Amino acid sequence: MELKHVNYGYPGSENLITDFTATVPKGKILAIIGQNGAGKSTLLKLLMGSVLPASGTVEIDGKPITALSRRERAAKIALVTQQHQIYDEMTVKEVVKTGRLPFHSLLATISDAEVRPFLETVNLAHAMDRPLTSLSGGQQQRVWLAAALAQEPQYLFLDEPTTYLDIRYQHDLMELIQKLNVEKQITVVMVLHDINQALKISDQLWLIKRGKLLEAGPATAILDKALLSEAFELPIKIVKIEKYGPYVIQLTA
Amino acid sequence: MAKERTAYIVICIALIITAMLALMLGTQFYSLAQLWQALTGHQPAILSTVLTFRLPRILAALIAGGMLASAGAISQSVFRNRLADPTILGVTSAGELLMLIGSLMLPAFAFQKQLLALVGGLVAFALLANRKTLRQPYQLIIVGVALNLTFMALTQLFTKGINVSTSLGFNGITWSSVYSLLITGFIGLVAVLLMAPWANDLKLPDEQLSSVGVPVTAMRLGLLVLVVYLSADVTAVAGTIPFIGIIVPNIARYFVGHDYQTILPFSMLSGAWLLLAVDTIGRIVVLPSEISAATIMAVIGGPFLIILVQRGGFHGIKAR
Repeated sequence: MELKHVNYGYPGSENLITDFTATVPKGKILAIIGQNGAGKSTLLKLLMGSVLPASGTVEIDGKPITALSRRERAAKIALVTQQHQIYDEMTVKEVVKTGRLPFHSLLATISDAEVRPFLETVNLAHAMDRPLTSLSGGQQQRVWLAAALAQEPQYLFLDEPTTYLDIRYQHDLMELIQKLNVEKQITVVMVLHDINQALKISDQLWLIKRGKLLEAGPATAILDKALLSEAFELPIKIVKIEKYGPYVIQLTA
Repeated sequence: MAKERTAYIVICIALIITAMLALMLGTQFYSLAQLWQALTGHQPAILSTVLTFRLPRILAALIAGGMLASAGAISQSVFRNRLADPTILGVTSAGELLMLIGSLMLPAFAFQKQLLALVGGLVAFALLANRKTLRQPYQLIIVGVALNLTFMALTQLFTKGINVSTSLGFNGITWSSVYSLLITGFIGLVAVLLMAPWANDLKLPDEQLSSVGVPVTAMRLGLLVLVVYLSADVTAVAGTIPFIGIIVPNIARYFVGHDYQTILPFSMLSGAWLLLAVDTIGRIVVLPSEISAATIMAVIGGPFLIILVQRGGFHGIKAR
Protein backbone atom coordinates (compact mmCIF):
# COMPACT_ATOMS: atom_id res chain seq x y z
CA MET A 1 0.00 0.00 0.00
CA GLU A 2 1.47 3.35 -0.89
CA LEU A 3 0.84 7.05 -1.17
CA LYS A 4 2.39 8.79 -4.16
CA HIS A 5 2.69 12.60 -4.10
CA VAL A 6 -0.62 12.91 -2.33
CA ASN A 7 -2.09 16.33 -1.67
CA TYR A 8 -5.31 16.83 0.21
CA GLY A 9 -7.12 19.84 1.59
CA TYR A 10 -10.28 21.87 1.49
CA PRO A 11 -10.53 24.35 -1.38
CA GLY A 12 -9.32 27.80 -0.37
CA SER A 13 -7.44 26.69 2.73
CA GLU A 14 -3.97 25.36 3.49
CA ASN A 15 -3.32 21.75 2.49
CA LEU A 16 -3.91 19.19 5.23
CA ILE A 17 -1.55 16.77 3.46
CA THR A 18 1.24 18.02 1.20
CA ASP A 19 3.19 16.02 -1.38
CA PHE A 20 3.09 12.89 0.74
CA THR A 21 4.95 9.87 -0.59
CA ALA A 22 5.43 6.78 1.56
CA THR A 23 4.93 3.01 1.56
CA VAL A 24 3.10 0.99 4.19
CA PRO A 25 5.41 -1.96 4.97
CA LYS A 26 3.48 -5.18 4.35
CA GLY A 27 3.09 -7.53 7.31
CA LYS A 28 4.57 -5.00 9.74
CA ILE A 29 3.28 -2.60 12.36
CA LEU A 30 3.39 1.02 11.26
CA ALA A 31 2.75 3.91 13.64
CA ILE A 32 1.94 7.42 12.49
CA ILE A 33 3.00 10.05 15.01
CA GLY A 34 2.94 13.83 15.11
CA GLN A 35 1.20 16.76 16.77
CA ASN A 36 -2.55 17.04 17.00
CA GLY A 37 -3.83 18.37 13.71
CA ALA A 38 -0.70 17.25 11.83
CA GLY A 39 -2.91 15.16 9.52
CA LYS A 40 -2.53 11.68 11.06
CA SER A 41 -6.20 10.72 10.90
CA THR A 42 -6.52 12.31 7.46
CA LEU A 43 -3.75 10.00 6.27
CA LEU A 44 -5.72 7.01 7.52
CA LYS A 45 -8.80 8.24 5.67
CA LEU A 46 -6.78 8.65 2.50
CA LEU A 47 -5.31 5.17 2.86
CA MET A 48 -8.80 3.74 3.37
CA GLY A 49 -10.17 5.57 0.37
CA SER A 50 -12.85 7.25 2.47
CA VAL A 51 -11.51 10.61 1.25
CA LEU A 52 -9.86 11.11 -2.13
CA PRO A 53 -6.65 13.07 -2.72
CA ALA A 54 -6.78 16.37 -4.61
CA SER A 55 -3.77 15.11 -6.52
CA GLY A 56 -1.49 12.09 -6.34
CA THR A 57 -2.54 8.46 -5.92
CA VAL A 58 -3.19 5.97 -3.17
CA GLU A 59 -2.48 2.40 -4.27
CA ILE A 60 -3.24 -0.94 -2.73
CA ASP A 61 -1.52 -4.05 -4.15
CA GLY A 62 -0.43 -1.95 -7.11
CA LYS A 63 -3.95 -0.78 -7.98
CA PRO A 64 -5.49 2.61 -7.23
CA ILE A 65 -7.71 2.33 -4.15
CA THR A 66 -10.52 3.90 -6.16
CA ALA A 67 -10.52 0.86 -8.45
CA LEU A 68 -11.92 -1.23 -5.60
CA SER A 69 -15.60 -1.20 -4.74
CA ARG A 70 -16.64 -0.20 -1.24
CA ARG A 71 -17.15 -3.87 -0.36
CA GLU A 72 -13.81 -4.96 -1.80
CA ARG A 73 -12.11 -2.27 0.23
CA ALA A 74 -13.98 -3.39 3.37
CA ALA A 75 -12.75 -6.94 2.85
CA LYS A 76 -9.13 -5.69 2.73
CA ILE A 77 -9.06 -2.86 5.26
CA ALA A 78 -10.69 -2.66 8.71
CA LEU A 79 -10.77 0.38 10.97
CA VAL A 80 -10.94 0.72 14.75
CA THR A 81 -11.40 4.28 15.94
CA GLN A 82 -10.74 5.86 19.32
CA GLN A 83 -14.34 6.18 20.38
CA HIS A 84 -17.33 4.46 18.91
CA GLN A 85 -20.80 5.86 19.12
CA ILE A 86 -23.83 3.67 18.91
CA TYR A 87 -27.33 5.02 18.76
CA ASP A 88 -29.20 2.31 20.60
CA GLU A 89 -28.35 -0.70 22.67
CA MET A 90 -26.37 -3.38 20.88
CA THR A 91 -25.15 -6.69 22.19
CA VAL A 92 -21.52 -7.66 21.77
CA LYS A 93 -22.31 -10.19 19.05
CA GLU A 94 -24.41 -7.65 17.12
CA VAL A 95 -21.42 -5.33 17.00
CA VAL A 96 -19.12 -8.08 15.73
CA LYS A 97 -21.70 -9.16 13.14
CA THR A 98 -21.40 -5.76 11.48
CA GLY A 99 -17.84 -6.77 10.59
CA ARG A 100 -19.24 -9.63 8.50
CA LEU A 101 -21.36 -7.31 6.33
CA PRO A 102 -18.86 -7.22 3.43
CA PHE A 103 -19.29 -10.98 2.97
CA HIS A 104 -23.07 -11.20 2.88
CA SER A 105 -25.97 -9.86 0.93
CA LEU A 106 -27.40 -6.75 2.56
CA LEU A 107 -30.54 -8.55 3.71
CA ALA A 108 -28.78 -11.57 5.20
CA THR A 109 -29.05 -12.61 8.82
CA ILE A 110 -25.63 -13.46 10.22
CA SER A 111 -25.38 -16.40 12.63
CA ASP A 112 -23.82 -16.30 16.10
CA ALA A 113 -21.52 -19.19 15.18
CA GLU A 114 -19.98 -17.11 12.41
CA VAL A 115 -18.73 -14.40 14.77
CA ARG A 116 -17.77 -16.57 17.75
CA PRO A 117 -14.17 -17.23 16.54
CA PHE A 118 -13.44 -13.50 16.35
CA LEU A 119 -14.71 -12.98 19.88
CA GLU A 120 -12.60 -15.93 20.99
CA THR A 121 -9.53 -14.21 19.52
CA VAL A 122 -10.09 -11.23 21.80
CA ASN A 123 -11.15 -13.46 24.73
CA LEU A 124 -14.72 -12.19 24.87
CA ALA A 125 -16.76 -15.14 23.60
CA HIS A 126 -18.32 -15.47 27.05
CA ALA A 127 -19.76 -11.93 26.77
CA MET A 128 -21.45 -12.47 23.38
CA ASP A 129 -24.98 -11.82 24.56
CA ARG A 130 -24.19 -8.93 26.88
CA PRO A 131 -25.05 -5.34 26.00
CA LEU A 132 -21.91 -3.56 24.80
CA THR A 133 -22.39 -0.76 27.32
CA SER A 134 -22.20 -3.21 30.23
CA LEU A 135 -18.53 -3.88 29.44
CA SER A 136 -15.52 -1.84 30.59
CA GLY A 137 -13.81 0.59 28.20
CA GLY A 138 -11.00 -1.85 27.52
CA GLN A 139 -13.38 -4.72 26.84
CA GLN A 140 -15.47 -2.54 24.54
CA GLN A 141 -12.36 -1.65 22.55
CA ARG A 142 -11.66 -5.38 22.21
CA VAL A 143 -15.20 -5.90 20.89
CA TRP A 144 -14.58 -3.28 18.20
CA LEU A 145 -11.30 -4.99 17.42
CA ALA A 146 -13.19 -8.28 17.05
CA ALA A 147 -15.60 -6.54 14.66
CA ALA A 148 -12.62 -5.32 12.62
CA LEU A 149 -11.11 -8.83 12.62
CA ALA A 150 -14.44 -10.21 11.44
CA GLN A 151 -13.75 -8.32 8.21
CA GLU A 152 -10.75 -10.68 7.84
CA PRO A 153 -8.67 -7.73 6.67
CA GLN A 154 -5.16 -7.67 5.28
CA TYR A 155 -4.77 -4.20 6.76
CA LEU A 156 -5.92 -3.23 10.24
CA PHE A 157 -6.12 0.53 10.85
CA LEU A 158 -6.36 1.86 14.37
CA ASP A 159 -6.98 5.54 15.06
CA GLU A 160 -5.71 6.28 18.56
CA PRO A 161 -7.13 3.03 19.91
CA THR A 162 -5.82 3.50 23.45
CA THR A 163 -7.03 7.05 24.07
CA TYR A 164 -9.62 6.30 26.73
CA LEU A 165 -7.89 3.31 28.28
CA ASP A 166 -5.84 3.07 31.45
CA ILE A 167 -2.27 1.78 31.19
CA ARG A 168 -3.22 -1.81 31.99
CA TYR A 169 -5.77 -1.95 29.16
CA GLN A 170 -3.39 -0.08 26.87
CA HIS A 171 -0.76 -2.73 27.48
CA ASP A 172 -3.19 -5.62 26.94
CA LEU A 173 -4.54 -4.11 23.71
CA MET A 174 -1.07 -3.50 22.30
CA GLU A 175 -0.02 -7.02 23.16
CA LEU A 176 -3.08 -8.37 21.38
CA ILE A 177 -2.35 -6.24 18.31
CA GLN A 178 1.23 -7.51 18.18
CA LYS A 179 -0.06 -11.07 18.45
CA LEU A 180 -2.52 -10.53 15.58
CA ASN A 181 0.24 -9.03 13.47
CA VAL A 182 2.46 -12.05 13.97
CA GLU A 183 -0.09 -14.86 13.96
CA LYS A 184 -2.51 -13.63 11.33
CA GLN A 185 0.01 -11.70 9.24
CA ILE A 186 -2.14 -8.57 9.35
CA THR A 187 -0.46 -5.31 8.41
CA VAL A 188 -1.21 -2.84 11.20
CA VAL A 189 -1.34 0.93 10.70
CA MET A 190 -1.85 2.90 13.89
CA VAL A 191 -2.23 6.55 14.70
CA LEU A 192 -0.83 6.97 18.20
CA HIS A 193 -0.42 10.08 20.29
CA ASP A 194 1.87 8.36 22.79
CA ILE A 195 5.33 8.46 21.20
CA ASN A 196 6.81 5.93 23.60
CA GLN A 197 4.05 3.46 22.94
CA ALA A 198 4.55 3.95 19.22
CA LEU A 199 8.30 3.49 19.45
CA LYS A 200 7.91 0.37 21.53
CA ILE A 201 5.36 -1.49 19.43
CA SER A 202 6.02 -0.54 15.83
CA ASP A 203 8.43 -1.81 13.21
CA GLN A 204 8.15 1.41 11.22
CA LEU A 205 7.11 4.96 12.05
CA TRP A 206 6.01 7.94 10.05
CA LEU A 207 6.78 11.19 11.82
CA ILE A 208 4.66 13.96 10.34
CA LYS A 209 4.31 17.69 10.80
CA ARG A 210 1.66 19.92 9.22
CA GLY A 211 0.75 17.33 6.62
CA LYS A 212 4.32 16.61 5.55
CA LEU A 213 6.41 13.54 6.13
CA LEU A 214 9.42 14.49 8.26
CA GLU A 215 10.91 11.04 8.60
CA ALA A 216 9.96 7.44 7.89
CA GLY A 217 11.82 4.51 9.35
CA PRO A 218 12.32 2.22 12.31
CA ALA A 219 12.43 3.50 15.89
CA THR A 220 16.20 3.99 15.66
CA ALA A 221 15.73 6.51 12.86
CA ILE A 222 13.03 8.43 14.74
CA LEU A 223 14.82 8.47 18.09
CA ASP A 224 16.59 11.71 17.31
CA LYS A 225 16.33 14.53 19.80
CA ALA A 226 16.51 17.31 17.18
CA LEU A 227 14.02 15.61 14.87
CA LEU A 228 11.43 15.01 17.58
CA SER A 229 11.88 18.52 18.98
CA GLU A 230 11.18 19.91 15.54
CA ALA A 231 8.15 17.70 14.99
CA PHE A 232 6.52 18.56 18.29
CA GLU A 233 7.96 22.08 18.63
CA LEU A 234 9.09 21.28 22.15
CA PRO A 235 12.46 20.68 23.78
CA ILE A 236 12.74 16.91 23.94
CA LYS A 237 15.18 14.60 25.64
CA ILE A 238 15.70 10.90 25.14
CA VAL A 239 16.57 9.06 28.33
CA LYS A 240 17.55 5.44 28.77
CA ILE A 241 15.59 3.38 31.25
CA GLU A 242 17.06 0.15 32.48
CA LYS A 243 15.27 -2.96 31.17
CA TYR A 244 13.03 -0.72 29.01
CA GLY A 245 15.28 1.16 26.63
CA PRO A 246 15.10 4.69 25.27
CA TYR A 247 12.24 6.85 26.53
CA VAL A 248 11.16 10.21 25.15
CA ILE A 249 10.40 12.99 27.62
CA GLN A 250 9.64 16.65 27.07
CA LEU A 251 11.70 19.11 29.01
CA THR A 252 9.32 21.99 29.69
CA ALA A 253 8.35 22.37 33.34
CA MET B 1 -35.08 -15.26 26.10
CA ALA B 2 -37.76 -16.49 28.51
CA LYS B 3 -39.12 -12.96 28.83
CA GLU B 4 -39.20 -12.65 25.04
CA ARG B 5 -41.05 -15.94 24.59
CA THR B 6 -43.57 -15.06 27.29
CA ALA B 7 -44.14 -11.70 25.64
CA TYR B 8 -44.89 -13.38 22.30
CA ILE B 9 -47.24 -15.92 23.90
CA VAL B 10 -49.11 -13.21 25.83
CA ILE B 11 -49.56 -10.98 22.79
CA CYS B 12 -50.81 -13.90 20.65
CA ILE B 13 -53.36 -14.89 23.30
CA ALA B 14 -54.40 -11.23 23.68
CA LEU B 15 -54.86 -10.98 19.91
CA ILE B 16 -57.12 -14.05 19.78
CA ILE B 17 -59.22 -12.96 22.77
CA THR B 18 -59.57 -9.37 21.49
CA ALA B 19 -60.53 -10.56 18.02
CA MET B 20 -63.20 -12.82 19.54
CA LEU B 21 -64.52 -9.95 21.67
CA ALA B 22 -64.52 -7.65 18.64
CA LEU B 23 -66.71 -10.18 16.81
CA MET B 24 -69.07 -10.45 19.79
CA LEU B 25 -69.41 -6.78 20.81
CA GLY B 26 -71.28 -4.00 19.04
CA THR B 27 -74.74 -2.47 18.93
CA GLN B 28 -75.92 -6.04 19.21
CA PHE B 29 -74.11 -8.48 21.46
CA TYR B 30 -73.56 -11.96 20.06
CA SER B 31 -72.52 -14.80 22.32
CA LEU B 32 -69.93 -17.33 21.21
CA ALA B 33 -72.76 -19.82 20.78
CA GLN B 34 -74.60 -17.45 18.46
CA LEU B 35 -71.45 -16.82 16.45
CA TRP B 36 -70.92 -20.56 16.11
CA GLN B 37 -74.51 -21.01 14.96
CA ALA B 38 -74.01 -18.20 12.44
CA LEU B 39 -70.88 -19.87 11.17
CA THR B 40 -72.64 -23.19 10.76
CA GLY B 41 -75.44 -21.58 8.77
CA HIS B 42 -78.14 -21.45 11.43
CA GLN B 43 -78.17 -17.67 11.99
CA PRO B 44 -77.95 -15.98 8.57
CA ALA B 45 -78.79 -12.51 9.95
CA ILE B 46 -75.90 -12.65 12.44
CA LEU B 47 -73.59 -14.05 9.79
CA SER B 48 -74.47 -11.18 7.50
CA THR B 49 -73.78 -8.55 10.20
CA VAL B 50 -70.49 -10.16 11.11
CA LEU B 51 -69.34 -10.53 7.50
CA THR B 52 -70.50 -7.11 6.35
CA PHE B 53 -69.54 -4.95 9.31
CA ARG B 54 -67.46 -6.57 11.99
CA LEU B 55 -65.04 -8.85 10.14
CA PRO B 56 -63.77 -6.31 7.58
CA ARG B 57 -63.33 -3.77 10.34
CA ILE B 58 -61.40 -6.23 12.51
CA LEU B 59 -59.11 -7.25 9.67
CA ALA B 60 -58.49 -3.62 8.71
CA ALA B 61 -57.66 -2.64 12.29
CA LEU B 62 -55.30 -5.62 12.68
CA ILE B 63 -53.27 -5.01 9.55
CA ALA B 64 -53.28 -1.21 9.95
CA GLY B 65 -52.07 -1.52 13.55
CA GLY B 66 -49.23 -3.78 12.47
CA MET B 67 -48.28 -1.42 9.65
CA LEU B 68 -48.30 1.70 11.83
CA ALA B 69 -46.29 0.10 14.61
CA SER B 70 -43.65 -1.17 12.15
CA ALA B 71 -43.52 2.22 10.42
CA GLY B 72 -42.87 3.83 13.81
CA ALA B 73 -40.14 1.35 14.78
CA ILE B 74 -38.35 1.78 11.46
CA SER B 75 -38.58 5.59 11.67
CA GLN B 76 -36.95 5.38 15.08
CA SER B 77 -34.07 3.43 13.63
CA VAL B 78 -33.63 5.67 10.59
CA PHE B 79 -33.82 8.93 12.55
CA ARG B 80 -31.97 7.40 15.52
CA ASN B 81 -34.67 8.92 17.67
CA ARG B 82 -37.13 7.03 19.84
CA LEU B 83 -39.82 9.65 19.37
CA ALA B 84 -39.78 9.54 15.60
CA ASP B 85 -43.07 8.41 14.12
CA PRO B 86 -44.72 9.27 10.80
CA THR B 87 -47.86 10.55 12.49
CA ILE B 88 -46.13 13.20 14.59
CA LEU B 89 -43.56 14.13 11.95
CA GLY B 90 -46.22 15.33 9.53
CA VAL B 91 -45.88 12.41 7.10
CA THR B 92 -49.47 11.26 7.42
CA SER B 93 -51.00 14.73 7.64
CA ALA B 94 -49.12 15.69 4.44
CA GLY B 95 -50.67 12.60 2.89
CA GLU B 96 -54.12 13.60 4.05
CA LEU B 97 -53.65 17.12 2.68
CA LEU B 98 -52.64 15.80 -0.71
CA MET B 99 -55.53 13.34 -0.75
CA LEU B 100 -57.87 16.26 -0.09
CA ILE B 101 -56.34 18.45 -2.78
CA GLY B 102 -56.49 15.51 -5.16
CA SER B 103 -60.17 14.87 -4.44
CA LEU B 104 -60.94 18.54 -5.10
CA MET B 105 -58.80 19.16 -8.14
CA LEU B 106 -57.87 15.93 -9.87
CA PRO B 107 -60.03 13.51 -11.80
CA ALA B 108 -60.39 10.15 -10.08
CA PHE B 109 -57.81 7.51 -10.98
CA ALA B 110 -56.86 4.09 -9.72
CA PHE B 111 -55.23 3.98 -6.27
CA GLN B 112 -55.64 7.76 -6.12
CA LYS B 113 -55.72 8.04 -2.34
CA GLN B 114 -52.80 5.65 -1.83
CA LEU B 115 -50.62 7.39 -4.39
CA LEU B 116 -51.41 10.88 -3.14
CA ALA B 117 -50.81 9.85 0.48
CA LEU B 118 -47.49 8.36 -0.63
CA VAL B 119 -46.43 11.52 -2.47
CA GLY B 120 -47.50 13.69 0.49
CA GLY B 121 -45.47 11.52 2.86
CA LEU B 122 -42.40 11.71 0.67
CA VAL B 123 -42.73 15.51 0.47
CA ALA B 124 -42.88 15.69 4.28
CA PHE B 125 -39.77 13.52 4.57
CA ALA B 126 -37.95 15.63 2.01
CA LEU B 127 -38.70 18.69 4.15
CA LEU B 128 -37.48 16.88 7.28
CA ALA B 129 -34.32 15.56 5.72
CA ASN B 130 -32.05 18.40 6.65
CA ARG B 131 -28.61 17.45 7.93
CA LYS B 132 -28.82 19.72 10.97
CA THR B 133 -32.33 18.64 11.84
CA LEU B 134 -31.43 14.99 11.59
CA ARG B 135 -28.55 15.41 14.03
CA GLN B 136 -30.59 17.07 16.79
CA PRO B 137 -33.27 14.76 18.21
CA TYR B 138 -35.42 17.48 19.71
CA GLN B 139 -35.06 19.67 16.65
CA LEU B 140 -36.34 16.83 14.48
CA ILE B 141 -39.41 16.45 16.66
CA ILE B 142 -40.08 20.20 16.78
CA VAL B 143 -39.72 20.56 13.01
CA GLY B 144 -41.90 17.49 12.55
CA VAL B 145 -44.60 18.83 14.86
CA ALA B 146 -44.49 22.20 13.07
CA LEU B 147 -44.87 20.46 9.71
CA ASN B 148 -47.71 18.37 11.08
CA LEU B 149 -49.57 21.43 12.37
CA THR B 150 -49.02 23.27 9.09
CA PHE B 151 -50.40 20.41 7.01
CA MET B 152 -53.35 20.00 9.35
CA ALA B 153 -54.10 23.74 9.22
CA LEU B 154 -53.90 23.70 5.42
CA THR B 155 -56.30 20.76 5.35
CA GLN B 156 -58.72 22.77 7.52
CA LEU B 157 -58.25 25.79 5.29
CA PHE B 158 -59.17 23.81 2.19
CA THR B 159 -62.21 22.23 3.82
CA LYS B 160 -63.55 25.54 5.18
CA GLY B 161 -67.01 26.07 3.79
CA ILE B 162 -66.70 23.21 1.35
CA ASN B 163 -68.63 20.07 1.82
CA VAL B 164 -65.97 17.46 1.33
CA SER B 165 -66.31 13.98 2.53
CA THR B 166 -63.22 13.54 4.66
CA SER B 167 -64.68 10.97 7.01
CA LEU B 168 -62.04 8.34 7.25
CA GLY B 169 -61.69 5.64 9.84
CA PHE B 170 -62.75 2.08 10.21
CA ASN B 171 -66.47 2.85 10.52
CA GLY B 172 -68.28 1.49 7.50
CA ILE B 173 -65.10 0.23 5.88
CA THR B 174 -65.81 -1.81 2.76
CA TRP B 175 -64.37 -5.16 1.76
CA SER B 176 -62.71 -3.56 -1.24
CA SER B 177 -60.78 -1.16 1.03
CA VAL B 178 -59.92 -4.07 3.29
CA TYR B 179 -58.65 -6.18 0.40
CA SER B 180 -56.49 -3.32 -0.83
CA LEU B 181 -55.13 -2.75 2.68
CA LEU B 182 -54.49 -6.47 3.21
CA ILE B 183 -52.57 -6.82 -0.04
CA THR B 184 -50.47 -3.67 0.30
CA GLY B 185 -50.06 -4.30 4.02
CA PHE B 186 -48.90 -7.87 3.50
CA ILE B 187 -46.30 -6.74 0.96
CA GLY B 188 -45.16 -3.95 3.28
CA LEU B 189 -44.88 -6.17 6.33
CA VAL B 190 -42.89 -8.82 4.45
CA ALA B 191 -40.55 -6.03 3.32
CA VAL B 192 -40.26 -4.89 6.94
CA LEU B 193 -39.18 -8.36 8.07
CA LEU B 194 -36.70 -8.65 5.23
CA MET B 195 -35.21 -5.23 5.86
CA ALA B 196 -35.05 -5.59 9.67
CA PRO B 197 -31.26 -6.19 9.66
CA TRP B 198 -30.82 -2.73 8.13
CA ALA B 199 -32.59 -1.15 11.07
CA ASN B 200 -30.01 -2.85 13.31
CA ASP B 201 -27.10 -1.72 11.16
CA LEU B 202 -28.18 1.90 11.49
CA LYS B 203 -27.34 1.80 15.19
CA LEU B 204 -23.76 2.36 14.07
CA PRO B 205 -22.43 5.75 12.94
CA ASP B 206 -22.37 6.33 9.18
CA GLU B 207 -18.57 6.41 9.01
CA GLN B 208 -18.33 2.99 10.64
CA LEU B 209 -20.97 1.57 8.28
CA SER B 210 -19.15 2.95 5.25
CA SER B 211 -15.93 1.32 6.42
CA VAL B 212 -17.64 -2.07 6.31
CA GLY B 213 -18.82 -1.44 2.79
CA VAL B 214 -22.45 -0.60 3.53
CA PRO B 215 -24.23 1.90 1.26
CA VAL B 216 -25.66 3.85 4.20
CA THR B 217 -27.58 6.49 2.30
CA ALA B 218 -29.29 3.98 0.03
CA MET B 219 -30.17 1.86 3.04
CA ARG B 220 -31.66 4.79 4.92
CA LEU B 221 -33.58 5.93 1.86
CA GLY B 222 -34.95 2.42 1.30
CA LEU B 223 -36.22 2.25 4.87
CA LEU B 224 -37.75 5.74 4.64
CA VAL B 225 -39.66 4.82 1.50
CA LEU B 226 -40.95 1.75 3.32
CA VAL B 227 -42.09 3.92 6.25
CA VAL B 228 -43.97 6.27 3.91
CA TYR B 229 -45.47 3.34 2.00
CA LEU B 230 -46.79 1.73 5.19
CA SER B 231 -48.18 4.88 6.76
CA ALA B 232 -49.58 6.27 3.49
CA ASP B 233 -51.52 3.05 2.88
CA VAL B 234 -53.16 3.23 6.27
CA THR B 235 -53.80 6.97 5.93
CA ALA B 236 -55.50 6.44 2.57
CA VAL B 237 -57.98 4.03 4.12
CA ALA B 238 -58.38 5.15 7.71
CA GLY B 239 -56.88 8.63 8.03
CA THR B 240 -54.18 9.53 10.54
CA ILE B 241 -54.14 7.32 13.62
CA PRO B 242 -51.51 8.85 15.89
CA PHE B 243 -49.03 7.46 18.41
CA ILE B 244 -49.23 3.72 17.67
CA GLY B 245 -45.80 3.99 16.07
CA ILE B 246 -44.34 5.51 19.24
CA ILE B 247 -46.13 3.57 21.96
CA VAL B 248 -45.79 0.07 20.55
CA PRO B 249 -42.05 -0.07 19.64
CA ASN B 250 -41.05 1.59 22.90
CA ILE B 251 -43.01 -0.94 24.94
CA ALA B 252 -41.70 -3.70 22.66
CA ARG B 253 -38.11 -2.72 23.51
CA TYR B 254 -38.92 -3.22 27.17
CA PHE B 255 -40.19 -6.75 26.62
CA VAL B 256 -38.11 -8.14 23.77
CA GLY B 257 -34.88 -6.10 23.83
CA HIS B 258 -33.24 -3.91 21.25
CA ASP B 259 -32.76 -6.18 18.25
CA TYR B 260 -34.96 -4.92 15.41
CA GLN B 261 -35.31 -8.46 14.10
CA THR B 262 -37.32 -9.11 17.25
CA ILE B 263 -38.73 -5.62 17.85
CA LEU B 264 -40.35 -5.48 14.40
CA PRO B 265 -42.35 -8.74 14.45
CA PHE B 266 -43.35 -8.12 18.05
CA SER B 267 -44.39 -4.56 17.18
CA MET B 268 -46.52 -5.86 14.30
CA LEU B 269 -48.42 -8.18 16.63
CA SER B 270 -48.71 -5.60 19.43
CA GLY B 271 -49.72 -2.82 17.03
CA ALA B 272 -52.39 -5.06 15.55
CA TRP B 273 -53.67 -5.87 19.02
CA LEU B 274 -53.61 -2.25 20.23
CA LEU B 275 -55.47 -0.82 17.25
CA LEU B 276 -58.07 -3.59 17.33
CA ALA B 277 -58.56 -3.11 21.09
CA VAL B 278 -58.86 0.66 20.74
CA ASP B 279 -61.24 0.41 17.78
CA THR B 280 -63.40 -2.12 19.60
CA ILE B 281 -63.56 0.05 22.72
CA GLY B 282 -64.42 3.08 20.54
CA ARG B 283 -67.26 1.10 18.97
CA ILE B 284 -68.96 0.22 22.22
CA VAL B 285 -68.37 2.96 24.82
CA VAL B 286 -70.92 5.49 23.53
CA LEU B 287 -73.47 3.24 21.83
CA PRO B 288 -75.21 3.79 19.48
CA SER B 289 -72.59 6.32 18.43
CA GLU B 290 -68.84 5.67 18.49
CA ILE B 291 -65.46 7.28 19.14
CA SER B 292 -62.84 6.92 16.43
CA ALA B 293 -59.65 4.95 17.09
CA ALA B 294 -57.67 8.08 16.18
CA THR B 295 -59.31 10.09 18.97
CA ILE B 296 -58.71 7.40 21.57
CA MET B 297 -55.11 6.96 20.46
CA ALA B 298 -54.52 10.72 20.76
CA VAL B 299 -55.93 10.62 24.31
CA ILE B 300 -53.66 7.70 25.31
CA GLY B 301 -50.66 8.71 23.21
CA GLY B 302 -50.23 12.28 24.45
CA PRO B 303 -49.64 11.30 28.11
CA PHE B 304 -47.48 8.32 27.03
CA LEU B 305 -45.22 10.65 25.08
CA ILE B 306 -44.91 12.99 28.05
CA ILE B 307 -44.01 10.09 30.36
CA LEU B 308 -41.49 8.75 27.84
CA VAL B 309 -39.69 12.08 27.60
CA GLN B 310 -39.87 12.99 31.29
CA ARG B 311 -38.84 9.60 32.62
CA GLY B 312 -35.71 9.71 30.51
CA GLY B 313 -36.87 6.85 28.34
CA PHE B 314 -35.98 9.15 25.49
CA HIS B 315 -32.43 8.59 24.39
CA GLY B 316 -32.90 10.21 21.05
CA ILE B 317 -29.77 10.38 19.04
CA LYS B 318 -27.59 10.39 22.13
CA ALA B 319 -24.69 8.10 21.62
CA ARG B 320 -24.01 5.55 24.30
